[in-house]
Amino acid sequence: MSTLTSTSTAAAPAATPSGRHAGGRTRPPRRRGRIWLYLCVAAVLVLFLFPLLFLANTALKSNAEFASNPVGLVHSPHWSNFSQAWSKGNFGSYVLNSILYTAAGAGIGTFIALVMGFPVARGYIRGGKVWRAVFALVLFLPNALITQFQLLLRLHLYDNRLGYILMVGVGVGVGPLLFSGFVSSLPRELDEAAAMDGVGYWRYLFTFVLPLARPALVTCFILQAVWIWNEIILATVLLADPTKFPVTVGLYAFKGTYGNQWGLLAAATLIVAAPLVIGYLFIQRYLVNGVLGAVKG
Amino acid sequence: MASTASPFPFPHRFPVRISFFAGFAVLTVFGLVPAALVLVASFTDLRGLPGIPVNFIGIDNYRSFFSAAHLDDNLNALKNTLVFAGVSTVVQLALALGISVLLNRPLRGRAFYRSVVFMPTVLGVTVIGLVWSLMFNPSGGPAAKVLSWFGTDSAFFGDPKLALALVTFVQIWAVVGVSVIIFLAGLQSIPEELYEAASIDGASGWKRFRLVTLPLLAPSITANVLLGVVNAMQSYQLTYVLTGPSNKATQVLSLMVYVQGFGGTSGTTLSQSQGYAAAISMVQFVLVGAIVVVTMRYLRKREARL
Repeated sequence: MSTLTSTSTAAAPAATPSGRHAGGRTRPPRRRGRIWLYLCVAAVLVLFLFPLLFLANTALKSNAEFASNPVGLVHSPHWSNFSQAWSKGNFGSYVLNSILYTAAGAGIGTFIALVMGFPVARGYIRGGKVWRAVFALVLFLPNALITQFQLLLRLHLYDNRLGYILMVGVGVGVGPLLFSGFVSSLPRELDEAAAMDGVGYWRYLFTFVLPLARPALVTCFILQAVWIWNEIILATVLLADPTKFPVTVGLYAFKGTYGNQWGLLAAATLIVAAPLVIGYLFIQRYLVNGVLGAVKG
Repeated sequence: MASTASPFPFPHRFPVRISFFAGFAVLTVFGLVPAALVLVASFTDLRGLPGIPVNFIGIDNYRSFFSAAHLDDNLNALKNTLVFAGVSTVVQLALALGISVLLNRPLRGRAFYRSVVFMPTVLGVTVIGLVWSLMFNPSGGPAAKVLSWFGTDSAFFGDPKLALALVTFVQIWAVVGVSVIIFLAGLQSIPEELYEAASIDGASGWKRFRLVTLPLLAPSITANVLLGVVNAMQSYQLTYVLTGPSNKATQVLSLMVYVQGFGGTSGTTLSQSQGYAAAISMVQFVLVGAIVVVTMRYLRKREARL
């Protein structure tokens, strides 16, 4: 394969001209090198995959089987762990809550990135430098648990879905920075052409910029959505009524109740983890873009 | 400023301002204002229960933070925070560098390997916490099994001497993928010719790494150190899930904010001293700021030297 030719940089270049004839002599060290490489890769894979496979293995064990054989491969898969965990842990309503919080919160955050990032990047609003500084500042705010709680308490939004959504919605992170960076790649002439044709600013922003900037906006949305989906402390502090808990708090509470029934607990963990792992396949590209965009910004 | 602002093409400026300041208002009220008010709250005797009058008490909270009654606990949390942040940043950096150099080689299926390493980023602290509680389950988890082959055992997260090291390990596992992605982007921007030139000059594999790869990766290293330090100094959700809110062995400053402000249980004990908790927040904020400034200076200097 082409992979073999490009590794030749690792071998002494003087050997390559005669390499075809003396292949037997130059090959063994290279092959040994490759074996080492793949052994290292295998070690990395084990480190990252084994915990999840072990979780899946445990999730299929009944209490009795876990007690007699906690580490070994499952013998008689106990599929009912999943349905039991689902109903006992009330995960249906937790998942719905999480979906609502994540969609609404990341929606608010992405909207903020759009309506603030575009005019700042274009210089359509005065004080460009100050606003850029604000975009960076939101990354370095102090731990404000106390005042966030007090604010919602005083606004009568404590233990209220809307209150929690607003709090996670403003956790925009790198969003505005990322988006204003992207806007500079959109041609300015487009603004002028659209304005010339009598298109107003809002219509332009939502029917021209929004579709054109979709990759950047999706990245902002997904970065924030992953954060909100996994958030646990703010939810613990700002919500009191268990029917409003997101799935993270639900799972943590489940651990408190069924902490010694590992089969059930592992099944519950897997219920929460599976959508993340499956979703990951689709959103990975955006996450990587987000991380790299954030570093550049 | 005026030079960057191009002629405004649209007929009216007010729609721009309306939507801009609508977004900014939400961000301010729920994001910036609470952050700024932490400082104010830290000078008050604010409590969790609503309806109790709030008084300014000057620097009493800070005095209390450094008072004999609290000093032991606070120094312990401070020490844990610094050890946790320092060790996890350094190990994470080294490990990420190794993995990214490995995955930058033309291996079969490397896109898949990269995805696997980056995956914990989406799993979140609750799932990761439970997965590793299971792995380090003292009664019959895989780690206990391995120890039993050597005839020993351990309480893992229950062992005060080991707990912080294990939490650090899990933290590294959870976030190393982000560093790997940053390093890989850095590695791919190094032109192949430089390596060829170095080989022609007779540089061995290690020499090429030290003289070509490392200097050219300097910006990625800076980014990773900063990201790692800031993230680790403020991270406490994983600690909360793995060892609970008030475990002395793994107590870190940001988790103390939570314990002091909310008593460690779900929103029900509202009589806690939240002014004091706000003061801890500020101490931590200043500490993070100072560390970031110092590391940034050092790394910039180092980058310039290379």
